[in-house]
Amino acid sequence: MNVSGYIGNFTAEIRRKARYVDPEACTACAECAQVCPVVKPDEYQMGLSSRKAIYIPYPQAVPSSYILNMEDCLGTNPIACGKCAEVCEPDCINYDDRDIIVKRDVGAVIVAIGADVYDPTEMDEYGYTRFDNVITSMEFERLICAGGPTLGHFVRPSDHERPKRIGFIQCVGSRNPSIGRPYCSNICCMNTIKDTLLLADHYPDVECTVFYQDIRAFGKSFEDMFQRSKEAGTRYIRGIPGDIEEDTETGNLTLIAENTTSGKIERHEFDMVILSVGVGPPKDLAKISSLLTLSKTSDGFFMESHPKLKPVDAPTRGVFFSGFCESPKDIKDSVCQAGAAASRAGALLNAGQVHIEAITSVIDADACKKCGVCASVCPYGAITWKKGEVAVVIDAACAGCGNCGAACKFDAITMRHFTDAQYMAQIRAILAEDPQDKVFVFACNWCSYSGADMAGISRMQYPASNRIVRTMCSARVSEDMVLEAFRCGAPVVLVSGCHYADCHYITANRQTVQRVQRLWNKLEKAGVRPERLQLEWISAAEGQKFAKVMAQMEELRKTVTEEEIEYTIEALKPKPRKPKKEKEAAAVAG
Amino acid sequence: MATMENFKCMLCGHEYQELVEEGEDKERSCPKCRSNSIRHLKKRASQGDSDDKGKKTE
Repeated sequence: MNVSGYIGNFTAEIRRKARYVDPEACTACAECAQVCPVVKPDEYQMGLSSRKAIYIPYPQAVPSSYILNMEDCLGTNPIACGKCAEVCEPDCINYDDRDIIVKRDVGAVIVAIGADVYDPTEMDEYGYTRFDNVITSMEFERLICAGGPTLGHFVRPSDHERPKRIGFIQCVGSRNPSIGRPYCSNICCMNTIKDTLLLADHYPDVECTVFYQDIRAFGKSFEDMFQRSKEAGTRYIRGIPGDIEEDTETGNLTLIAENTTSGKIERHEFDMVILSVGVGPPKDLAKISSLLTLSKTSDGFFMESHPKLKPVDAPTRGVFFSGFCESPKDIKDSVCQAGAAASRAGALLNAGQVHIEAITSVIDADACKKCGVCASVCPYGAITWKKGEVAVVIDAACAGCGNCGAACKFDAITMRHFTDAQYMAQIRAILAEDPQDKVFVFACNWCSYSGADMAGISRMQYPASNRIVRTMCSARVSEDMVLEAFRCGAPVVLVSGCHYADCHYITANRQTVQRVQRLWNKLEKAGVRPERLQLEWISAAEGQKFAKVMAQMEELRKTVTEEEIEYTIEALKPKPRKPKKEKEAAAVAG
Repeated sequence: MATMENFKCMLCGHEYQELVEEGEDKERSCPKCRSNSIRHLKKRASQGDSDDKGKKTE
């Protein structure tokens, strides 16, 4: 329900849902389910069979005891039916059971919330809602499973006859930007290959045809499985069907697809069609994301701290990922990641202490005006603040982006090792001589500065006019720092940082955008050409982009005249503040 | 709800409109020159200058 705290010191609030059945006393005799009059679709069997309001969620459930779904029950206040309680010999049904909130103090959190399977309802061309014999790969799993609704006898839903010709359509809800799912779901190709092998094993007379874009059989022994599927008689046609027609008498389905190998439009008739559905981020992802201050990649899954060096760590320290919620992956990869996440969490807990970042923010309690802006912009929730109180930085949670320091209007926050005074001194020193010939660049440590390095080590040519100041994050660049550069005579100022999906401080660079927007307005208001302030996202691998941007900045610099610079220095001069006493006197006189 | 909003590229000067979803978190780049210096014009026009946002008088 809620998670608060920081690395080594989290408090989790967990809702333990009421079962209405005592699991210790229940013997799973099923007497209660037999008398229950409520019939509902069984979620575990993908709605292909039914269950009662009191039921065991699935055969392997632990503990093996019944639960009563109160949303399905006819009512217990007053008791509308009560049949289950009447027949329960061990007397284990308790209608007064209630949800319990449990609190647990934990040192680390592993997020393993899985994924949601794509619902193909919106892709009307495949007729999932119109034709009985179009099913999803998940429904196929239940139909072919010995513990499924047909006890493993594979039949088609329309007439319960065994299908002889089966068509599989790949990439339903994957690699399709038009429905907002441009990514590969990773598991569907091998799942379909496995299904065709299962069918060939169970029913040698079944003809399987797979319509695909690419078969991605890249794991260990996967190519071998793919070859075995072809040897077993499965036909693979490169081309995704655009339409399905149904013969209303027989229930058979005709797929119309362009075979991209032959370039011809083909029609294929099947008894049954299986949509190989992809996976997407789980619906609870946003809630968990907000609880643990996590960020998402452009495809909607959780973003890891570093894709290569910290693939199971969340940007929030003490939080780790396992499985689908980080990206689609098969069982083997999920198990690997789960092991890695458990090891990372175990190492953290066994260490008994954490090394905190040296670059953290410090709040000057005397200068703090208790406005709470710092707490609102911290992407890690590392600053606690209550109305009317001085903000407090939790050192263990602070990652050192410096966003709070840039947002504080009262100079009440100092970033250790990257103080405002140090930055101002750098700006003034760089622009002390011939500022008109220089392009002033603020580059974030993780991406843009490394992008400049990449351009250098790749021997890329770009104008030598740029002067770079490294900041931990682009969000560390305060309005004052940019204005100071202009006041010192910089013709062009560039603020550069990580791309949105790469921000090393979760979402700190969104604050950079807002700050630059405000600066553009401010410059325009002061009569300064706002175009002289530029913003670019340059990743560590984009040396070429860095070189290109530097060339563009040099072109822009050449358009800035001496008069413009002189005017800017004058226009942006800080206005002298009225001493407090004078202000008060003026107010009294007024 | 999505709204049509105005943007200006601060590098090449290209002005364009784009559909913006509520709460959208998207990296912007100029459709013409790919620069990330994209100024959101609508905010300026309809909500007034946001210079004073978060600022307190001393």
